Amino acid sequence: MLFNSLHFLFFLPIVIALYYLLSFKYRPVLLFVASCYFYMALVPIYILILFGIILIDYSAAIFIEKAKGKSKKWILSVSIIVNVGILAFFKYFNFANENLTWVLQHLRMGNPISNLNILLPIGLSFHTFQSMAYTIEVYRGNQKAEKNLGYFANYVLFFPQMVAGPIERYARLGEQLKVNHTFNYENFSKGFALILFGFFTKVSIADNLAPVVDMVYKNPDQYNSISVFIGIIFFSFQIYADFFGYSLIAMGAAKLMGITLMENFKTPYLAKNIHDFWKRWHISLTTWFTDYLYIPLGGNRVKKARWALNIMIVFVISGLWHGAGWPFIIWGTLHGICYLAERIINKTFHINIISSNFFFNGFRTIKTFLLVSIIWIFFRAENIQKVKLIFNSLQHNQGTTFQTLKIDYKTWALLLFFILFDVILFNTRIDIWAGKKPVYVRWSIYAVLIFGLMAMGGVDNVPFIYFQF
Amino acid sequence: MNILKKIGVRFLFLAGIFLLANFIYKKTLWEQDLKSSDGKILTDFLNAQDSADVIYLGESSNFAVGVNDTCSKNISAFAADYFPSLVFKPVHKGAIHAGTYLALLKQLKNNVRVKTVVVTLNLRSFDADWINTKLETSLMRTDVLLQKYPPLINRFLLSLNAYNKKSEKQLEQDMLAQLRNDALCFPYNFKYKNAYDWNVGMANNVYLKGNKNKDSIDKINLACHYIKTYAFQINTQTNPRIKDFDKIVTLCKQKNLHLIFNLLAENVEYADSLAGKDLVFLIKQNRDLLMKRYNKDGIFVVDNLEAVRGKDYIDQNWTTEHYNQRGRILVAQNLANALKIIYPKEFEEIASNKEKEINAIKNRIKASDSWMNDIKRKAKENNLSIEEMIERDAKYVYETEIKFKIK
Repeated sequence: MLFNSLHFLFFLPIVIALYYLLSFKYRPVLLFVASCYFYMALVPIYILILFGIILIDYSAAIFIEKAKGKSKKWILSVSIIVNVGILAFFKYFNFANENLTWVLQHLRMGNPISNLNILLPIGLSFHTFQSMAYTIEVYRGNQKAEKNLGYFANYVLFFPQMVAGPIERYARLGEQLKVNHTFNYENFSKGFALILFGFFTKVSIADNLAPVVDMVYKNPDQYNSISVFIGIIFFSFQIYADFFGYSLIAMGAAKLMGITLMENFKTPYLAKNIHDFWKRWHISLTTWFTDYLYIPLGGNRVKKARWALNIMIVFVISGLWHGAGWPFIIWGTLHGICYLAERIINKTFHINIISSNFFFNGFRTIKTFLLVSIIWIFFRAENIQKVKLIFNSLQHNQGTTFQTLKIDYKTWALLLFFILFDVILFNTRIDIWAGKKPVYVRWSIYAVLIFGLMAMGGVDNVPFIYFQF
Repeated sequence: MNILKKIGVRFLFLAGIFLLANFIYKKTLWEQDLKSSDGKILTDFLNAQDSADVIYLGESSNFAVGVNDTCSKNISAFAADYFPSLVFKPVHKGAIHAGTYLALLKQLKNNVRVKTVVVTLNLRSFDADWINTKLETSLMRTDVLLQKYPPLINRFLLSLNAYNKKSEKQLEQDMLAQLRNDALCFPYNFKYKNAYDWNVGMANNVYLKGNKNKDSIDKINLACHYIKTYAFQINTQTNPRIKDFDKIVTLCKQKNLHLIFNLLAENVEYADSLAGKDLVFLIKQNRDLLMKRYNKDGIFVVDNLEAVRGKDYIDQNWTTEHYNQRGRILVAQNLANALKIIYPKEFEEIASNKEKEINAIKNRIKASDSWMNDIKRKAKENNLSIEEMIERDAKYVYETEIKFKIK
């Protein structure tokens, strides 16, 4: 089920009402049924994959807890191999096979294996990572194995965040699912604010930018350089508004049930460098990679060359996590290179990362935003040829040969409003920020958001970009 | 209790915000949204209901004009010429169908001036190709905006895509499935069981094998297109158009409106020459079904199916209901004859002195050297005497130009 659908607008209030009307002992059943229904509204059969992941990791954790010595490691390895195997089969099989075909072609051989004609289960990368985090934590002894299959199933399936995160840890989400949350006005108010702002961000910002971005990325060679540049910048805001909007709705929906999800974004485009950007963008994924890949690789407690390699490994795998394709790998690699380059430059020229100089900070923010936007081209373009075409189109001179994008004033106004709001909300969140304002200011903001959402939403209803991961 | 009171007050706030937002939206962005979503027809319709006696609801057949036409008048305007004391207003847009007409008619207020509604009945709109066209998505969007909810709700529902949105790939798959699954029943043995097989058979040149004049690739492509378009039998239980037309009948009865279905002309002549009598059989069978179904309900169905000759269609290489001037005039004449039953006193024959007008044209022809040269050439080609050719041309000019005061 899509958040931005009429279906969800009926589904959520019904689930919330039942959640508080039912006695505590029936809530896990309600959440399980609601989550299955939510997921099955998309491709019903794929729920079986989720059930498989749940059963494997639930059992693995129990066995890990009981096991001693090397067998612990073996069980964890099996669990990880199964999770990664499922992900690899659905997500990377065709990519690997196409590359194999390419290699064999150069060796003048044919590839007997044909590509799979299957759809990637929505959100597979998210729930496999969430489930793996649990078994790893049990292995490390930081988490007790959950004996109740229902609770564990709800942790993997929890509908507000199951298809696009935030990627939660059991210690945080799983434990909250066991608490008897009573109806609380503050949660209700915060949940409403988060959902409203989330919908506004997705429907009115991301979905209005999407058609402009699509036009530019579809035929970049037809547009002049300014139009192509606008398309690139618009995509930066589209993907942010799209994913941020999803995360806000997820947080809001969970909050209505008294459950707090982790924050996934902290005004990432106000970051001063790439390192800062990744502390603010898709935080749950960054922390996952830090905890389960970067640190096991040795983190920064190794020689400089090894540390640089660790950084590159994390970024390349992060690129691959986002999508099975060379542009995604290059996207991750470029982030890694920029990350390392900034660290080296800062160290060589003794640049103080923490500065109170407004202009210096402003310059660094704009520089980081432009850098991230340029790298996003690899993320958005379907293939390397398209990337080349976009870079070539950035050199198109003005004139009659190339078209100029026609963007209506509504789109500009909404984007400016969003940027302004992002600056105002620097390092805070809409519900917390609004909660501190006098009631008339708060409700005036709600009124503006409601008007913007209902009267100025995009009409194409673009699916959430991160659903494909 | 306190919490419930608190929430209740917030809900009242929200309701207030909604009412205010709806008011502002209606005054500012609504019209612009209607225009950009092709919802201009709604404003046209709302304006027409209080200023017209007869509303003509149609698609592109009403306004399509041929390159050689000397007059760009619509079908509805030609029909209106017969009723000078009545006001006719067309409400039209390309590719719309019963679903959109129904959405518009639902907006009809009580005690309005309009007393008669002419609704275009397009046979093609019942076929799998049209039902599964990507244009349908745009029409459904328009229909969402035309719903009877407050404009702000409609606009929000549009953002949420609260309609049966399908991808282009899905639409194509559905169309092909329908062509495959809908069996064709003939009262005699026919080679193909469904339109899909028939189309494939035609594409493989099976049907036209041996006919050297017709087996050019272009003609076979066109024949395939005719088969995909017309090889169907309306299922009154499942066809969405039937459901919409039925609702239109009920709605017009409730609102005490005269309703006329204007069944449009199809290029039966080309269907016959390209795909054969079997296809013509299906086209006529569907026509008969619709006529019978709605005549039974007391609705007047104007039968234009074979009214327009093949060469009077603007699109010679595609199936459309786009007629040249002559075609539009003929359809309008049939419609006027039907309207005459409702408005006998208002009906006026357009030219009472037909003989005099034709004689005047004959004199104009004889006085023009170039026209006479043309007459001589055409007379020779058609094996007619010069006098007979002048007579024929004069009548044509009268019927398609002078009668309607076209200069």
